[in-house]
Amino acid sequence: MNLIWAPVLLLTSVTVGAVTPTPIVAGSAVDIRIGAVLASNTGQEFDPRLVALHHQLSALFPYTSYRLVKEEKERVRPGGKVGFDIPGGRYLLVIPKGLKNERVSLRVMLIEGTRPVVDTALTLRNHATFLVGGPRHKEGVLIISIGADVVPGPSDLAVPTSTQ
Amino acid sequence: MRTVALHSSRCVECEDELRRLERLQNLVGETINAQIEELDLRQVWPGVQARLGTVRVSWWQRARIWWEERDPAWWIRVPAVGLAAAAAVLAFVVWSNGPGNVAQPVTPVAAVDNSATIDSLDSTANAVAVLNEPETNTTVLWVNDDTDYGTEGFPP
Repeated sequence: MNLIWAPVLLLTSVTVGAVTPTPIVAGSAVDIRIGAVLASNTGQEFDPRLVALHHQLSALFPYTSYRLVKEEKERVRPGGKVGFDIPGGRYLLVIPKGLKNERVSLRVMLIEGTRPVVDTALTLRNHATFLVGGPRHKEGVLIISIGADVVPGPSDLAVPTSTQ
Repeated sequence: MRTVALHSSRCVECEDELRRLERLQNLVGETINAQIEELDLRQVWPGVQARLGTVRVSWWQRARIWWEERDPAWWIRVPAVGLAAAAAVLAFVVWSNGPGNVAQPVTPVAAVDNSATIDSLDSTANAVAVLNEPETNTTVLWVNDDTDYGTEGFPP
């Protein structure tokens, strides 16, 4: 092969690699993002950390104040469990069941005491966010955001990060 | 007209006829002028003007008309356009770096498709509702375990 084509081929392969979507393969990990938002009608506060949810929150709910009270992100493999203590004594359990075609199958359980208030199985698009709302807390209600980001390929199970 | 004038100067009958016609013309003219002078035309133009729509000419169109009316030579146009472009760039730079224009952090908000499919749902809550925000396809599972739905109602 003529050496003059080597940079062209290299550039082409880099470009193709950059634009080709990464397939979700078996054994990939999933970053589960969970946030607890306290929505109320006391005040006009909108937590700047919720900017990504601003449109959805303002379009769906009549509350005037939204404050992120807790946030966690944990990387798990399909079949693993992510637990999240919800303010007010409830507990959320998220279990990624599988990854297929840019979609993540999840089982989500909202538990109060020993009673599962909600037990649902859903399929969520990669990088999408699902909301569970309604539990009363203090002067408002809690809206729980659950997001899933697929981490393709071999991954290390990172230490969970949290904000409170 | 010249032939008629020559003939009438030599023919008495035709000259009399011509004089009568001229007198008739004068009488008609005087009568019409007298009628017109009685008309008050001062309100005509204001009346027309009031019905005319105003045409707004933008500063850009004014500049273009002014430029076209001047019709300068090309060797004047080129540096003038260059100067105008340089002034516009300079004005933009000054404006963008001015003290009142502190760069605001742009918050990246990705247009994410949040569509979700609920495959199964079991609940022991008093009421459960599924809401959807159509623009981003965000699905919300709204759970209410109280019998009192508050002022917001259910779902809110």
